[in-house]
Amino acid sequence: MDNCIEIKNVDKFYGKKQALKNVNLTIHQGMFGLLGRNGAGKTTLMKTLATLHAKKNGEITVCGVPIEHAKEIRGMTGYLPQDFSMYPTMTVQESLDYLGVLSGMDGQLRKERVPLLLKRVNLTESKHKKVKALSGGMKRRLGIAQALLHDPKVLIVDEPTAGLDPEERIRFRNLLSEVAEERIVILSTHIVGDIEAACENIAIMNEGEILWQGTVLELLHSAEGKVFTINIPKEYLSQIKERYIVTGMLAQNKYTTVRMVAENKPDIQGIIPVEPNVEDAYMYCLYSNGCDVSGGDVSCCF
Amino acid sequence: MLFLKECKKVLFSLTFVIYCITALAMYFTQFHGDIGAPLEAPAPGRDDYGMTAKEIPELLMPEAVWSLITEYYSGSFTAYPYGFIKHVKLTEKQKARMEEIILEVSGLTMQELEAHEYFKIPEDLTYEHFRELMREADKIIGGGSKYGDNFIVGNFSYVPKTYEDALLEYEQFLYEDKITGAYARLYCDYLGIIVSVLPVFVAAALANRDKKSRMEQLIFARKISSVKLIFTRFFSLTAIMLTPVVITAVIAQIKVNSIYPNGTMDSFALFKYAAFWLVPNIMAASAVGMLITEIASGLLAIFIQGVWWITSISAATSGLTGRIGKFTLIMRHNSLMGYDAFFDRWENIVFNRIFFTVVSILGIALTAFIYEQKRKGVFNVLFKINFQNSKRQSKA
Repeated sequence: MDNCIEIKNVDKFYGKKQALKNVNLTIHQGMFGLLGRNGAGKTTLMKTLATLHAKKNGEITVCGVPIEHAKEIRGMTGYLPQDFSMYPTMTVQESLDYLGVLSGMDGQLRKERVPLLLKRVNLTESKHKKVKALSGGMKRRLGIAQALLHDPKVLIVDEPTAGLDPEERIRFRNLLSEVAEERIVILSTHIVGDIEAACENIAIMNEGEILWQGTVLELLHSAEGKVFTINIPKEYLSQIKERYIVTGMLAQNKYTTVRMVAENKPDIQGIIPVEPNVEDAYMYCLYSNGCDVSGGDVSCCF
Repeated sequence: MLFLKECKKVLFSLTFVIYCITALAMYFTQFHGDIGAPLEAPAPGRDDYGMTAKEIPELLMPEAVWSLITEYYSGSFTAYPYGFIKHVKLTEKQKARMEEIILEVSGLTMQELEAHEYFKIPEDLTYEHFRELMREADKIIGGGSKYGDNFIVGNFSYVPKTYEDALLEYEQFLYEDKITGAYARLYCDYLGIIVSVLPVFVAAALANRDKKSRMEQLIFARKISSVKLIFTRFFSLTAIMLTPVVITAVIAQIKVNSIYPNGTMDSFALFKYAAFWLVPNIMAASAVGMLITEIASGLLAIFIQGVWWITSISAATSGLTGRIGKFTLIMRHNSLMGYDAFFDRWENIVFNRIFFTVVSILGIALTAFIYEQKRKGVFNVLFKINFQNSKRQSKA
């Protein structure tokens, strides 16, 4: 049990609003995805694991250490928040060195680790650049470097690909996958593609609750026979949207191919069942748990 | 290592550069010119050697009584309890007792005083009893008034200096102060004004920098303890804030040396005075900056320190030499002379400097505690709900 995170019956409140409701999770080594809509409680859970929020009830242990031992937890955890930067006038190298000092690393260790990390995140050539001169993607990579600087057992990354262009996003996912070979990585995101590409185990959160947890394959399996597609004239599109959970659409002249989720096969001529993708399965999970998905995530293609 | 890194952060901040420029401007415009020509021994037979405070009952008693009557009729007594100016209005009961005191020291009732332009100190009133009554008046006002033991002589008993007085002062300047001691007091008097307020800007900017740079969360999640981080930041801030003080002290020392080439001097007096006099002021202003910025905002910190500074300056203007209470933030001694006046208050001064040093350190300990609560997300939440709505609460 020493190489996992155990979360048992955790509650968290902001004033009277309950942000986490009886959360139970076990997270093992490798990449773990936390998927949910904005406001689902992902960041709250991540911050609680990073000791930046105090829980109200329950127990959390990180690699056998209770979360209340904040200093010890901080020593074994790397955290990359969603919204972060560094002192703009410091160089990339200076920033890492400064954060290394705050992590209690001695000079020799920093001398070894900083160049190593810069190389790993492909920022060696930018080490003398000031932080304010970095692009969004470079800042994210610097963020990962700072989180890995003290070689943590646990890496917590919150919405790391938000705002990145597709190329940077793929590069970032690959980097996280490499890193996850040696440690526990918890990736929080509302972008299903990130989970699909990088995580084996996932949990889905909604309104502070864990709705579902398991492997990506299990999630896909749970939505088998629940996803359908149909080619319809555009004028019927609004009716379909009103009655079913639409997860994708592809416009082709006067017709639109619609991908939808339903508990039973809809009685519509020409509808055919299809293999679910992770996005379909995620939407089905929300739908089958009674969440309001009428205005939910709908992708533009499939 | 962290200390040096924090020093570097302060050193290259814009607010620190502004602080340095202001401190240097203060030094060169206010003090540097005072080291123009060497002080010369007073020549005998001059008409005027200046004024000095000396306890002469015949002079002190009527002046003090006149002041007491004037303040009574104005309906307000000025006092400086804890170094802050206060205009005290008496209750009816206190007024009645004050009228009895005035009757005892002037020999006239309030009605008679209204009808007479002059009063005479009663012949049977001894000086000792007079001082007791003044102490009681001071107590009724709430302490810190002109009638208290600490201030009554300095306020009401000034006499022209004799040649002997002037010579004694000059000899104290040469042999007790060893020249530089006197310059060091005047130097600290000027620099004290600046270092009692400007460090709050630097401290507030530094404390706000993590938030402004969106680096707060990265630092919160590090292993370092809040106590170590906050105290290191505080001591680096204090150390770097001394830079213009050290530079100007060196310049002053060189200039004093140049105008007294044959004088026996204490070469470290400026540094000793600066360390004892100015460091607690820097610490106090920095502590206010760091603490209030952590609790609320940098602007509020600057406002609070500004109000404290203005109040302290206002309190000091009524006595620029030697008027130093136990809780006076800005100690004033705007003279090369007045060795006795300064050391008469020595106990107050030592208490004062230790008090501000200890209070500053306690303030920083409180800052570290609040910082730790913010790291755990406890203080942030309470604070936002109570004061600012939950604008910056978690987005999750």
